[in-house]
Parts: sequence; structure tokens; C-alpha cells
Amino acid sequence: MQPPSAVVLAAGEGSRLRPLTEHRPKPMLPAATKPILEHVLDELCAAGVPEFTLVVGHGRRRVQSHFGPSYRDRPIEYVHQEKQLGSGHALLAAEDAVDAPCLVVNGDQIVDRQILGDVLDGHDGAAATLGVVGHADPSEYGGASIEDGLVTGLVERPREDGEYLLNAGVYVLEDAAFGAIRRAEPRAGEHTLTDGLAELIDAGERVDGVVSEGLWVDATYPWDLLHVADDVLADGRNVESGVDPDAWVHESATVRDPAVISADCVVGPGAVVGPGSCLGENVTVGANAVVEGSVVDADTRVGANATLVDCVTGRGVRVGNGSTVVGGPGDVRIGDRVHSGERLGALLADRARDGGGVTYAPGTVVGSSAVVHAGSTVRGTIPDGAEVRG
Amino acid sequence: MCGIVGYVGDGNALEVLTTGLSGLEYRGYDSAGVALGNGRLAVYKRAGELAELEDTLEDVDADGVRVGIGHTRWSTHGPPTDANAHPHTDAAGRVAVVHNGIIENYAALREELSAAGVAFESDTDTEVVPHLIARNLERGMAPERAFRAAIGRLEGSYAIAATVAGSEVVHAARKESPLVIGLGEGATYLASDVPAFIEFTDRVIYLEDDQFARLDAGGAVVADADGAVLDPPVDTIEWDPEDAGKSGYDHYMLKEINEQPSALRDCLRGRIDGLEGSVHLEELAGLEPSGPIQLVACGTSYHAALFAAGMFRRRGIHADAFIASEYHADRLPVDADTLVVGVTQSGETADTMRALREANRAGARTLAVTNVVGSSAARECDRTLYIRAGPEIGVAATKTFASQQLALALVVAELTGSSHGLVDELRDVPDAVQTVLDTSRASEVADAYVDADAYFFIGRGYQYPVALEGALKMKEITYRHAEGFAAGELKHGPLALVTEETPVFALVTGEGELARKTVGNVKEVEARGAPVVAVSDGRTEVDRYADELLSVPEIGEIGAAVAANVQLQLVSYWVANSLGRSIDRPRNLAKSVTVE
Repeated sequence: MQPPSAVVLAAGEGSRLRPLTEHRPKPMLPAATKPILEHVLDELCAAGVPEFTLVVGHGRRRVQSHFGPSYRDRPIEYVHQEKQLGSGHALLAAEDAVDAPCLVVNGDQIVDRQILGDVLDGHDGAAATLGVVGHADPSEYGGASIEDGLVTGLVERPREDGEYLLNAGVYVLEDAAFGAIRRAEPRAGEHTLTDGLAELIDAGERVDGVVSEGLWVDATYPWDLLHVADDVLADGRNVESGVDPDAWVHESATVRDPAVISADCVVGPGAVVGPGSCLGENVTVGANAVVEGSVVDADTRVGANATLVDCVTGRGVRVGNGSTVVGGPGDVRIGDRVHSGERLGALLADRARDGGGVTYAPGTVVGSSAVVHAGSTVRGTIPDGAEVRG
Repeated sequence: MCGIVGYVGDGNALEVLTTGLSGLEYRGYDSAGVALGNGRLAVYKRAGELAELEDTLEDVDADGVRVGIGHTRWSTHGPPTDANAHPHTDAAGRVAVVHNGIIENYAALREELSAAGVAFESDTDTEVVPHLIARNLERGMAPERAFRAAIGRLEGSYAIAATVAGSEVVHAARKESPLVIGLGEGATYLASDVPAFIEFTDRVIYLEDDQFARLDAGGAVVADADGAVLDPPVDTIEWDPEDAGKSGYDHYMLKEINEQPSALRDCLRGRIDGLEGSVHLEELAGLEPSGPIQLVACGTSYHAALFAAGMFRRRGIHADAFIASEYHADRLPVDADTLVVGVTQSGETADTMRALREANRAGARTLAVTNVVGSSAARECDRTLYIRAGPEIGVAATKTFASQQLALALVVAELTGSSHGLVDELRDVPDAVQTVLDTSRASEVADAYVDADAYFFIGRGYQYPVALEGALKMKEITYRHAEGFAAGELKHGPLALVTEETPVFALVTGEGELARKTVGNVKEVEARGAPVVAVSDGRTEVDRYADELLSVPEIGEIGAAVAANVQLQLVSYWVANSLGRSIDRPRNLAKSVTVE
């Protein structure tokens, strides 16, 4: 079908990515150097989508200020979902702004033009068509069972292997689908899009599933941002390895590919950036510092002689002179659960700062605006705004 | 301060004119009107916002109308009424005229015309123009000559467009008010500013003072005052008209406040070298002022100028900021050694332009610091530095002030020398502003004090201009009484105004003497029972005396002045929002003040 307008769901915080999401939603976290959502819009543009409706909520000003009234000459309409009560609720918030059929995608997972194109091409007479991928593990996500091109079942976090394919979160919806989403009973206060589609199937309507080989990447946990960056750099379509013409890299510094150094960055003498490092706008890497396999968000300052390996930073982080993030693997506590052996040197949330000479044990999580005093050795999880000496 | 539009094309004049007027609404909005030429002239005009006019026009059949002019007005002469709205016509309805500016000799002309039997329908200065043209037509002059002869009688400032019944031509003239021509395919456009027709064409000719233009569907002929045909350059507009959208914000003002981090990045990009710790402004190359520096500006821009003058003086350079409308009265000595810096967002501010023109005549070197490419200031000054804030639609200046602060800091650094410390400080500003935006408690503070009798703002050093700007923003959009003071001046009079119902916003950043002394002033107002709102980076004890705290990150003095102001912008916004004010278009104000 002709690409219709797209609804992009970008209101959710992504609580498993805390503390990075204190001031912005998951779609605005960096995939390499650009927000995840920007990759999604790039791919929607490539698939020929003429206009966007963005459903925004948590940290919505970040989205609105980043994209403004249009993206690559395609107009954007913003719809505010005041309470995040599920993907179905988000979609209903946008109902008045769009006409069916419309394309619906998640703004916090990277999908490529191939999946989008496959689903658009595969939409032929069904009340809804959804895209699934066979090459990723559905156990943390939504699963769909497909028989002869028809979706026969939809579940969250399927346990058994093989029976379910991963729901890529790419849908073409007709009017009937909106009605079903409205009819579906909320569960645990949440109105999900998949419950709506299950309702649609129960009502005897046809819901098609299209299996695609396209790229699908999600960051569930903070360390996934490192894998996402690797995937995005390897894919190369939306972020190219290289140094922006408006960045300043000292002639004695070394940039090891793949690496992205964005506009306004300063890389000092003797510093080494990469491989696998992504520096957002206006980052400083001090003299002789090493930044390897790390995603460093905008306005962060890495002091002279500091070492960051497998590190994820938020915006405006201050890593002092001679501080060391030794690299993964490490054990990371997210909520009540400890994840063992993950590739994470340290996670430093927005505006965390240290006084220099700090050693971060593998898997350390430092909350936003937390302060670590000079010479400390830290491990585990440091809450937002805390001061640590040790 | 008004906006005018004109169109000659292939038959959708009404649609083009109303689109154009909505693109100019920021220039004024107390009345609007259009004249459509279709054999005879039909004039529609209404007091009120453009929407009122659009209601009137709903039932008008304007198919096939090829020529028209339009106007959105902000009153300078006469109240906003239907009669005072433009276009104005002669008694026979043969000539229609729209005008932006002030005709200084209109009283004399009106007397002359009245004596000759002309009856006036409005109180406006503009109405003399159609009558003058009509009288010339009666004397047998061709329309173009009649127009030129009428314009020749005028003293003052004007951008004027006129059309004569039965012709498919728009005549235009400019003196000290902006006017730009747009060249389309089979259609030609005229407007006070580019947003009026950017939807239709991006090829433009900026009309200069004392030039005339004759527009028909095939293009425009530009001539000088003596009628000699000129060959003006055709520019291409490169910015995106979509920038005019609100992007999901309730008001342009809030959108523009939130755009400040990226606007500041744009302002700095390519102009500072973080490796060398140096500033490079090609625009200022070779400009080595040997004499005093005079900054001239109005309103918010004046506060940015005050900030810059302070920066110059701390670096040992003799610099002063002047209110542009007073600059003339001061009769300052100006010579070839003087550098006069005009700070004007629009580049069209009449008072600032007058000061710059006087400086040019006196042989001084002139520098425009402006946001609008191709504006009068940019074209008439020796040098121009663009602040790169992008279009600002809200009448109350927000992001353009922040960008002016940083652009002027760059000017100071370029002329007096930069350092690693300064460049690092400038690079930290966008994130400091983002931090304020992410964490501000301004809406809670606004809720707490929305019913206050008045709002006072105090600061010292670089925070003094911020105190003035904080008060101006509060006045502009909340219509509440607000004043900014140098903190040390409080006890020399204003303290008498301080009560339990007048919150005092104290700007206290850094830990030096200025900050400590401001804390002393805070104790004075606290002792009088006034609520204290501290805008603080936490480096002094002011937090202890404050009833409410608005935090800014620890950053250098320049960044602190930018970040603290953002907190005050947000407080004004939320107070105005609670009061239900017309935030983007406060009463009695217009964005670009093109009359003196």
C-alpha cells in the first residue's frame, strides 16, 4: 500500500533504563549519538511516510524541542498522553489526529525500512497487520503466534521457545482496530495495543502477521545502549563513523574506528577515542584520556588521563582527571533484580560528577546529579543526588 | 508597527493575502484588512485579531481576483476601530492604500486636503495618502506618476503599498520601514517581512530607503526617487517557514524558552575553538576599536547591551549601553574611533536604526548584532554578527535574549582576548540552561505568588541586567507591576515599596563580593517580611533566607547570567499562564517596534 501517515508512540519513560530517564523518555536516549526516536523517524522517512503524529508524555518537552514542527520536511503533530496507561491508550489519544489506515510504531525501539516496507506491502484486506521478526528472542517482549499468515495469538513475555515470534511493534491499523482497542478491558490499569488486537481476533476479524528479516533493536537495560550503538554503527545507514566537521580533535589524538565524534566536541592531545565509542554534541575528552566502547552523551566532560571502558553516560556528566571506569563485565542491580555478568563498566546518569582519581568497579550505577569525591572507589548503585566519599 | 502585504498574480489574491497577514501577525494585531481589485476595489476591514477579518471574509466570493493589498495594524494614531483599520481609500473608492510607519506631516496634509473639500473617514495618518493619489489622478496623472507624486509629499517613515481600481498593479515605496518583494512564477508578492509569502516563494528583493517598486504578475520594477530603473540583487531565503509551528507547546513563548539550549549551541558553533581556547568571529576581522564602545538598543536588547558593556568594562575597555531612543538626546561625542554596536533582534527597531544611522553619518564604525538576515541593521552597519537564534514568534523575547548574551560575550572576547577558561565557560552554557529547563520549580513558585501586589528583582554585576530583564518579562506578559533594581539601590528608595505582598527575586550566583553583598540585601527585605525567591547556585548562604529556591548550576558568571534569566522567564510564563493572559501577544505590544 501507499505509505500512510504514521503514529509514533513516544510517551513512555522506560523505567528499566532509570536513572537515565529522569528527564527524558526512552525514545530520547542515544542510539550511538542520535536519539532512538530519530532513527525511527529516519526509517519512516525512508519507507515513504509523509507525516508523523508523535504521542508524547514523560519528558515530552525534550521530544518537542528536539524535533520541532517537522522532521525532514514532513510535518509532525504532537499529541499529549497525560498519563501513560499503555500503548493502546496512547494510540486512542492520537485517534482524532489520524485517519485509518495508519502505520503505528514504537518510538523507543529501532526498526528499519525493511520491516516497515514488509508490513506495508503485506497489508491487504486485514483489519490489522503486524510485523514480527524471527531473529530475536521474544522472551522479554511481546510474542505473536502466526499460522498461514494469520495472527492466532498474542502474549507478553512468552516462556516457551519456538511457538512465538517477536512482535516488532510495527502495525497497520484500520478503523476496526481502533474500535477493538477501545473495547478491550484494561488489565492492571493498562490499555495495551496487543490486548486490542486480541479483542479484534476474538471478534472474528482478520489480523495478519508479516515475518520480516529487517533490523530490530531494543534497549531494555542501560547496558543495551552499548549493543545498540554497536548495531547502529555496524548498520551505518543513519549514523556514520567519523568526526563531525565542527568538532575539534587534536592532531596527536587517536580516533579508532568505529567511533562517532559529534559537533562541538573537543578531543585533547594524546587522547584515544574508540573503537566503539560515540560522543554526543559538545563532549570534551581531556588530554591522554581513553574512551573505548562507550556511549557518552552531550555536554559530558571527561578529564585528562581518565579512562572510560564500556561506559554509558547521561548528559552533562563530569568525569574528573584520572578517574577510571575499568569496564565490564559486572553485576548490575536494576530494581529488585541483579543482572550478572553484563557488559557495563559504569552507568553515570545526567550531571553526575566526580572529583577525579575515582575508580568505578564494573557495573557501578551513579544516579543523576550524584557527586563522588576525589580518590573514592565506588561500586553498586548510588542514588540520585547522593554524595559519596569512600 | 504594522505589517503590510501585496499580491499580483493569477487569481487567488484573497487566499495569498490572508496567508500573508497571518505570517505577519507578530507585528501587530489590533485590526486587519484587505483591498481586492477586480475591476473595482472591494475593501474589507475589521478591528480585532485576524480571525475577526477571516470571519467577515468567509462569504466573500473572491475567485479570480488577481490583485490586492492587506494590512495588520498596531495603533499609533487613533484607536483600533473598523474605520481606522487599513486599507484606506479615497472618497470614490478608486485608490486603496496600506501603510506601515508614521507620516509626520499628516496634520498639515490633512488640513490642506480638508480645505480642498476632502472628507476624512478615519483618525489615521495614512488616510491622507489615498486622497493625495486620487487628487493626482483627477489632475490627469497616470497611476504610477500619481503614486510617486503623492509619496513625494510625505515626511516621516513609511512602507506603503497602493493599488488603483482597474489596474493589475501594486505600487510600493519605502522609507525607514521594512519592505520586501517576493518573486514567484506568474505572481509577485510584497510584504513587511518574508514569513508573509515564504510559503509561495523564497526569491526576494529587499527594497531600500527611497526606492519605489511597481509590481505586476510578471515581476517587479524597482526605481529610485528620480525614476531611474535599478537592478537590485535577488536573494534566496534559506530558513524553514515550518519553524513557525508551536511543536506541541501551548505557546510560542514556552516553545522558544525550551529551544534555548539548541539556539545557544547554534550561536557558538564554529565560533569558538575548544582546543586552543580561542574565539574566532570572521565577521569582526580587522575591527580593532581604538576608542570607546557604545551599545545602543531598546527593551530586552538593551538589557543584553548592559550585560555586554559590563563585560567590556571589566576588561578595561570604555564601553556604555544606551537606550536607543535616548541616545540621540544625549548628543554623545562620536567619531571615527568610536564603535557603535546596535543590538536589535529584528534588525528593524526604529529607535536603534536611527541611532545607527546617526553613528554612520558621524563616521563611527557600526556593528549590528541581530537575529534577522538581510534586516535593515544588517544591511546598513559596517559589520554584522548574527545571533542565530532562529525565528522568534512570541512577542516577549526569550531565546533571542539568551543568544544575544552569548553573541555579545563572543564579541567582547574577540575584541579583548579570550582564554581557555572563557571558552570552557561558554561551552558549558547550553547544558546549564538544559539543566534549568529540566529541573525548574518555576511553576510552583509562580503558583505561590500569583496574587502578589508586585514583583521586585534584584541583582549585582552581570545579574543586574538580568534583574531588569526579569521584571520586563513579568510586566510584558502578566500585566503585573514589576521592577528590577541594582541590589545596592534597594535601600536608596525602593525598599519603601517592599511589603509582605511583594516577593523579591534575588539573583545570587558565585561566591564573590557581589554575591555576598546581595545576600545582605536579601536580609534587608526579609526583615521587612517580604517573601524572598532566591535564584541561586547554592554557593552562598542565601538559600537559608529564601522562602523559595530556583536553582541554577554552578557555572561561570556569564553562564550564570544566562541560566538565572531562564528561571525568571519561566516564572513570568507560569504567572501569565495562571492569569490566562495572551502570552504570545500581550496587549499593546508588538514584536518589532518599527516606529520611534
